[in-house]
Amino acid sequence: MTKSKAYIGFITPGFILYSLFMIVPLGFAIYYSFFNWSGLGSMECIGLENFKRIFFDPRMSRIFNNALGNNFRYMAIAVFVFIPLQILMAYLIHIKIHGHNLFRLMIFLPYVISPSIIGFFALLVFDPNIGILNNVLLGIGLNQLVSSWFGNPSIAFYLLVVVIGWNGIGVGMVIILANMKNIPQDVVEASIIDGASVWQRFWLVELPFLEPSIINVVVLSSIFALTQFDIPFIVGGLNGGVNGKLDFLNLMFFRYTFGDAYFGETALGFGAAISVVVFTIILCIAILQKLVFSRLFKR
Amino acid sequence: MYKKKQGLGGWIATILLTLYCLIAVILIGNMIISSFKTKHDLLFNTFGFPKEFSIENYQQVLIKDSLYRNFINSIFLTVASILSLVFVSSMTAYGLARYRFKGRQSLEVYFLLGLMFPIQIAILPLFVIMRTFSLTNTFIGMIMLYTANMSFSLFIFTQFFKELPSALHESAIIDGAGEFTIYLQIMMPISKPVIFTVMTVSFVQIWNDFYLPLVFLAKRSLHTLTLAIYQYLANFLAYWNYVFAAATLALIPVIIVFLIFSDQIISGLAAGSIKE
Repeated sequence: MTKSKAYIGFITPGFILYSLFMIVPLGFAIYYSFFNWSGLGSMECIGLENFKRIFFDPRMSRIFNNALGNNFRYMAIAVFVFIPLQILMAYLIHIKIHGHNLFRLMIFLPYVISPSIIGFFALLVFDPNIGILNNVLLGIGLNQLVSSWFGNPSIAFYLLVVVIGWNGIGVGMVIILANMKNIPQDVVEASIIDGASVWQRFWLVELPFLEPSIINVVVLSSIFALTQFDIPFIVGGLNGGVNGKLDFLNLMFFRYTFGDAYFGETALGFGAAISVVVFTIILCIAILQKLVFSRLFKR
Repeated sequence: MYKKKQGLGGWIATILLTLYCLIAVILIGNMIISSFKTKHDLLFNTFGFPKEFSIENYQQVLIKDSLYRNFINSIFLTVASILSLVFVSSMTAYGLARYRFKGRQSLEVYFLLGLMFPIQIAILPLFVIMRTFSLTNTFIGMIMLYTANMSFSLFIFTQFFKELPSALHESAIIDGAGEFTIYLQIMMPISKPVIFTVMTVSFVQIWNDFYLPLVFLAKRSLHTLTLAIYQYLANFLAYWNYVFAAATLALIPVIIVFLIFSDQIISGLAAGSIKE
């Protein structure tokens, strides 16, 4: 490393851009959340009113709790279903089962498809009239399984989770897979010589080495779960699908901030309060996860 | 070191994963094939091969619906943003990684906060800031946003620059090169692999981005391909034969980039998040 003042010149442009567009807005979100402001005109400081409205206004708290519940439910599925799947897929590719190169490529592939096209695919498969699924079911005579899919409130949420999972599952998988390449070979070989079964080898020898990537995937997936927007918006619309089954905090935020047809409810201060709540939840969850993991792995 | 012969369990896994991967093949294949069908053909022959190959859908979306403009918008925005992002983030990373000064470490942490808090969270004040500077509905504003969202690329570049031997810099100083010349003419050329990684990963992310264009590019003539496809979906039933063609056009470039550079994209994404 060099001691020279030249670093100032290198860092300044990036520092200004990053601060102005990434960090300053975070601070302003907190500031706005204390105001009643339509976005234009005067701002009126109302203290914690916006937050009270989110948590205690009967109608608003119902919308908020429903959206937050969906975020949490999605996060739970991501952590307890998708991550084990990602570890399993990564492991199968790591031990080079037949077709492993192709699998790595193809499992990752949906990630590069834009959310609009993912939404289009969801329509192609699940549309009640023209969708592939209903047509196939009718074709093979399973008429009783025909459903309105996203129009059916009891399964819509899980379908959405499947669609989002299909889109993004490859990212966590390749992160874990890259970590598997770092497992010291001699340790694994020693365990094979000692007669460990495949099962024992995975759980006792290899899994502990995967700690860093698994922590990262848990944190990344959770942040992703809490900031869900694109696919729910494209598939379920701004109002969060049938009975709000596809509603998420970011959709609710978007409705009250940028949606202008909501009976005069468009309010930037209120929207800011929602985003501050999301922001706080992310912070708490990330800290909590780090704590849990340091207990879990380091003992 | 693992067993070369595959047991029954391995074969079951291979079969299950093959079926899983077929989903993508069927969906993409069906989309491309259907894009060559006429509306009538699509209605009565939804899943088969087209009776006759028709490029009418492409003519309609590209020329009559002027999707070519969205295409140009997406290409321009993506390319310009990537160049700006690579330049600014590599420069910042270089300053952070190669110089010793007070507060360097805290500054590094500061720049990585963006990995933790996605840009969506503060979109509202961001909107106010953009409006204040009259940057909404402009490409320059979008390019600045994509450049500002630099935590990931900055991290990749910083890791790389930290590993370079300091002798490189010292010998250049002795040769009388200025600091910026060293960065531009010595460091940038040897960073080619990293630049490539950042470019390919950002290409996928910016080309597919939905949220920022949705918020900041309300004007129709500025819409990117992703937004244009969304507009088609909103009127799906009236134009469903066109959606296939439009979606195919939007998907082809990114699939090509992915198939050629999959190793860079996959290892780049993994490298960006493996270290603590």
